[in-house]
Amino acid sequence: MPANLTKTDGSQATSADGRVLAQLLAESKSIRGVSLWQDAWRRLRKRKTATISLVGLATLCLLAILTPLIPLQSPIDKDLRNRRLQPPELKSASLGNRSGLEFKDGSLVAELGLFEAETEKMTSELALETDAAKRTMLRKVIEDRAIVEHPFNQLWYKLDPLAWQMCKLRVATFGDYAIPSVFGTDSLGRDLLARVFWGVRVSLVVGLVATMVSLVIGVSYGAVAGYVGGWLDAMMMRLVDTLYSIPFIFVVIFLITFLGEDSVKQRLDSVGINQLMIFYLVIGAIYWLTMSRVVRGQVLSLRNEQFIEAARTVGAGPARIIFRHLVPNVLGVVIVYLTLTIPSVMLFEAFLSFLGLGVSPPDVSLGLLLNDGVEALSSVKIFWWVVVFPGATLALTLFALNFLGDGVRDALDPKLKNRE
Amino acid sequence: MRDLVRYLLNRFAWMLVTVWLVYTVSFVLMRSVPGNPFSSERNVPPAIERQLRARYNLDAPILVQYVQYATGILTRGDLGWCIRLEDYSVNRVLAEGFPVSASLAILGLVFAIGLGIPAGVVSAVYRGSASDNAMMGAAVLGIAIPNFVLASLAILLFVFIIPLFPAGGWGTLRQVALPAICLGAPVAAYIARLTRAGMLEVLTREHVRTAFAKGLPKRTVMLKHVLPGAMLPVVSYLGPATAGVLTGSLVLEKIFAIPGMGSHFIAAALQRDYTLAMGMVLTYTVILFVMNTLVDVSYAVIDPRVKLN
Amino acid sequence: MAPEVRRLFLIVAAVTVMVAVGWASLFETTPPAQFSLQSGTDPKTLDPARATGNIEGRVLYELFEGLLQMLPAGEPDPETGLQALTPQPGMAESFELSSDKRRYTFHLRDNIRWTDGTPVTSDDFAWSWQRLLHPATACEYTFHLYGLPYAQAYNEGTVEVGDRVEVELWDRPGETPTSPANVKHYPRGTIRYGTLKEIRKPPEPTEQEKSRDESVELDWQDGWVYVVDVVEPRADESIDWDASATTMTFTSKTNSPVADTDSERTHGVLVAFDKLGSVETPDAKTLIVNLTDPIPYFPNIVAFYPLFPVNRNCVETHGSPMWTNVENIVTNGPYRLNMRRLRDRVRLVKNDDYYAADKVSLESVDFLSLEGQNTALNMYETGQIDWVTSPPESLLDELKKRKDFYNAPQLSVYFYRLNVERPPLDNPLVRRAIAMAIDRQEIVDEVTKTGQIPAYTAVPPGLAGYQSAVGFKEDVGEAKRLLVEAGFPGGRGIPKLTILYNTLEGHRAIAEVIQQQLQNNLNIGVELQNMEWGSFLDKVQQFDYQIARAGWIADYPDPNTFLDMWVSGGPQNNTHWSNKKYDQLIADAAKEGDPAKRLLILRDAEQIWVDEMPVIPLYFYTSINLVKPNVKGFFPSSQDLHPLQLLRFENDDAKGKP
Repeated sequence: MPANLTKTDGSQATSADGRVLAQLLAESKSIRGVSLWQDAWRRLRKRKTATISLVGLATLCLLAILTPLIPLQSPIDKDLRNRRLQPPELKSASLGNRSGLEFKDGSLVAELGLFEAETEKMTSELALETDAAKRTMLRKVIEDRAIVEHPFNQLWYKLDPLAWQMCKLRVATFGDYAIPSVFGTDSLGRDLLARVFWGVRVSLVVGLVATMVSLVIGVSYGAVAGYVGGWLDAMMMRLVDTLYSIPFIFVVIFLITFLGEDSVKQRLDSVGINQLMIFYLVIGAIYWLTMSRVVRGQVLSLRNEQFIEAARTVGAGPARIIFRHLVPNVLGVVIVYLTLTIPSVMLFEAFLSFLGLGVSPPDVSLGLLLNDGVEALSSVKIFWWVVVFPGATLALTLFALNFLGDGVRDALDPKLKNRE
Repeated sequence: MRDLVRYLLNRFAWMLVTVWLVYTVSFVLMRSVPGNPFSSERNVPPAIERQLRARYNLDAPILVQYVQYATGILTRGDLGWCIRLEDYSVNRVLAEGFPVSASLAILGLVFAIGLGIPAGVVSAVYRGSASDNAMMGAAVLGIAIPNFVLASLAILLFVFIIPLFPAGGWGTLRQVALPAICLGAPVAAYIARLTRAGMLEVLTREHVRTAFAKGLPKRTVMLKHVLPGAMLPVVSYLGPATAGVLTGSLVLEKIFAIPGMGSHFIAAALQRDYTLAMGMVLTYTVILFVMNTLVDVSYAVIDPRVKLN
Repeated sequence: MAPEVRRLFLIVAAVTVMVAVGWASLFETTPPAQFSLQSGTDPKTLDPARATGNIEGRVLYELFEGLLQMLPAGEPDPETGLQALTPQPGMAESFELSSDKRRYTFHLRDNIRWTDGTPVTSDDFAWSWQRLLHPATACEYTFHLYGLPYAQAYNEGTVEVGDRVEVELWDRPGETPTSPANVKHYPRGTIRYGTLKEIRKPPEPTEQEKSRDESVELDWQDGWVYVVDVVEPRADESIDWDASATTMTFTSKTNSPVADTDSERTHGVLVAFDKLGSVETPDAKTLIVNLTDPIPYFPNIVAFYPLFPVNRNCVETHGSPMWTNVENIVTNGPYRLNMRRLRDRVRLVKNDDYYAADKVSLESVDFLSLEGQNTALNMYETGQIDWVTSPPESLLDELKKRKDFYNAPQLSVYFYRLNVERPPLDNPLVRRAIAMAIDRQEIVDEVTKTGQIPAYTAVPPGLAGYQSAVGFKEDVGEAKRLLVEAGFPGGRGIPKLTILYNTLEGHRAIAEVIQQQLQNNLNIGVELQNMEWGSFLDKVQQFDYQIARAGWIADYPDPNTFLDMWVSGGPQNNTHWSNKKYDQLIADAAKEGDPAKRLLILRDAEQIWVDEMPVIPLYFYTSINLVKPNVKGFFPSSQDLHPLQLLRFENDDAKGKP
């Protein structure tokens, strides 16, 4: 019992302290710790332009991803006879009604029905067929038909499996309905709205992937140089200086022609790399220079900070320190720089399209559309819609990226904290 | 002064290394790209193609070509004869095109600086005002529109709708003005933004507050204390700006029919004109290197804390 | 850094910038010429022998003049507005044709001079043609002279034992027996003449070695040693081949294992073309050309710029290519070269020494290097240029309504080559199916838009006396049937095909439309690949393609120019297509003396071509030009030739520009 008593005593003795502690704990809970990121996010949201930009970009990305679901007209179907360079109009459109397509009843849905009915018929024939050789043949015919003769091939070019399913869903939902040509049509009679959507898809992917490539190279390179320091740093930075002086367009032209070569292309295709990917890699590979400089600068100033010392004392290896401790801390700068790189990459894509080195049709990108648009700008007659809509789309995207970049920079700047 | 000289010598040595590197890489790249400079619509008999190759020393072993061409450049400054434009030596193409491209680039840069810095200053001083928003909006627009679109619009606007300038060609100031403006516009936009950001940054510093506290007039503080500090990012941007202007001139020379050397740059690379392409890439490398060095030196001059090393 | 250094630096920088700006704003202004036209890219060269394109041609027709020149004959065609151009007296005031149609005698004018003041003589032509053919000049258009005996052997450098040959010694200016060659390719070294007695060859490399590197074989040929019975020329430079001879040996490689110690080094042993009577120059004003076959279109060839004369003294003094520099060049045409700047212009001014100078109206002409189509049109609209040679495609709908728009059929064809060794294109059924499934009318109406004629045969209409073969018909149903017959029902089993085209908006649009038509009509998936001209040609010539775009412009107005390119292994064939009967018919036609019969033979050949379809013809071009309305004397012609000497401004002294 005494023991028990003392215990109770003890608890009684500490209960006062415990109360204080609990109170303190409760108080501390009510003070919410604000991490750098939370703070930045809060301040970013306060800036109207940045918020609008962010929302706009998110919508754009979403739309780009969901493009196959949107009831757009075909981006590749050319109605040369009737719809060349039509100004914007609100006349409702319908998929598959161009006579040249020879779709049943001028409707994709009807044609699709016909196609599926035929396949059905063949499948039932297959079920009845007993001869093994004929069965395999028939099965192959059905499979080939699904790939070669599917009506989707007439309206979309090389859909990836996901986009194919999305297109199916879209046809199931909207039927033949398609948004009217509110952006007009181009010189070969294609709907510009659809082309802008599909073009944004390609341009955004080019911009993002190329930037990611540059990010990976630049951040690792800069972080390693900054952290290791000494002669390695000097050498690595000299190399960057040297590369800065190389006229890169030249290298890009060579790489694109070289990698576009059939023999090389086939070899790359066999490992699953297509031309678009090469495009990203090449562009990404030239935009890492500034990134590496920026990261190195940041790492240099951080590497003698105490938390790095601490990590080192507990025995973390250089790789771990660089990628677990240093890189997250330079992320702010990197994000700001990203919002600047994506626009440059997109502009560079446009520049290459102007030189005829961009994506090859019927793939479409904003750069290609703009190049077509500029062709249609002349003193004799101006087909304004061919340049205005792709141009505005590109400009607004870059606008948003720039404002977002400004916003993020200010939000992450500790000096500006609590000033607004 | 001595460290400056040492720095310049050091940079010069690095330039040689860079040029050699670029020479080697271009040499290898050009010869590994399929296609050859003598491709023509009519197949020529092998004996005749050989004569052509002999004319440009392309029949020698690769290594011999590599050494001989480099020797020619180093000892005689001779970049050889163009393969496609066969009446011209590369030196002559450069001699004809370089002054034009350089004039265009200088005027473009001067326009960019002359417009960009004042715009940035005004924006920073009247931060948040309508004029600030308008100017920064215009600046972002300048960055966001590809220059070939900008140039086409400018031609439409200033040649046909408001006939101020001729449609193309080279020779008079009026002919040069429009391409120089189109070339400088995106650079001006960047400079304006950098100036504004730099000014705002410097405005928060202690010495500026002290200056204000001393009661110096706003104009004096802005021009004497804030602006120089804000120039650092602008100066460091001039290196990339030169690269940007050179790239931009490739497009504008084509649109405005200007006899600069930029248009040869792309054509030579695409047509496998080995000698001309090499001449171009080396020239551009040297220009970029010199500009980057100048930027570094000016940086050290403007900011005493920066040491040349 | 010390403050004074900084200040100094700032001052230096400021001064430098100011000087630079000052320098940049100093322009050398060139006053515009009386007449300016869009020339496209820069002319590659001003050497008529070396030039190949129509851009160069346009300049060369004004700078130089051949024996004959293409000038208007008769009235323009009332329907198309086409003006016929025929070969008419140029440097030669007349010519006679022998009864066997194999011997042309040209009589030169009296008052013809080079711009250096010396008279133009028949020797100039003989020498220029020899230079054109010489392998070291490495010209592409040499085949136009292959109708002359020995010309082809001379050009290709082939010799056989027993041939009468010329040997060029290794003593061109600046050469020693061990030095590398002087490749300025003229002047030539000392020439020895004689009869080839023997060729001693080192051991031949194996086929395997040859296939690894094509230079192996050529290296081996360099080691050949030629044994020649050398004869001394007579005083008048003619050769008595049967005179007493000294036997000598020559080789290009003096270290060849079969060479003698006293073998002389040579640039090569060639048939003695100029001493064997192909071209005779009995006097300074008479030129006699002996042909192997009666070539009905030979006068047209004589009026084609590769056969224009160049000044021997000028070429030999300055060497190539320096003789074409403005300060060196000597010409004989209606205009002389005044200025040439890359990416800017070629300025020609009237040649007052020209024999018909009083008929030339335009005093100075600028050929502007304008690549951008919109740029050229803009400059035309603002009055900076008077003639646009390639208006932008996207505006043709608008432009063709205008009065200053000249549009007429042209002797040229746009087609897609097929690589007939690549399955499934090795099957003529598939080739025909593809050809039939293309809607050409849609292409010419909606893409090219200026009245091009859909092509179902190889030869365009409008060649006098020629009736084209029966073409195929566009028929999607039949095309589908052919595919079934070929074993590809519904397009199943056809691998993805790639259309290769050279980078140009117009080609891209056509390829995109064909891509859609083949997908719609036959379910054939097509990829597009564009390449810059050089790489494009390279791929086509190495047969590294499936379908490749091409165009062919008539070199002379005769069906032969569209047909002889498809003979087996022909240098322009590039399809692997080969048909013995076709080859035979083309060869027969060349020998046929009766013009009507000849055309019938060519027609039979064309029929084979249509049935086999190694190439898909798409349309026959039209020429499109925009010329200011105050310019008179401009008319469309079937080869798109427009002699500038015929042009004049309506109001002679008014320039048409402010």
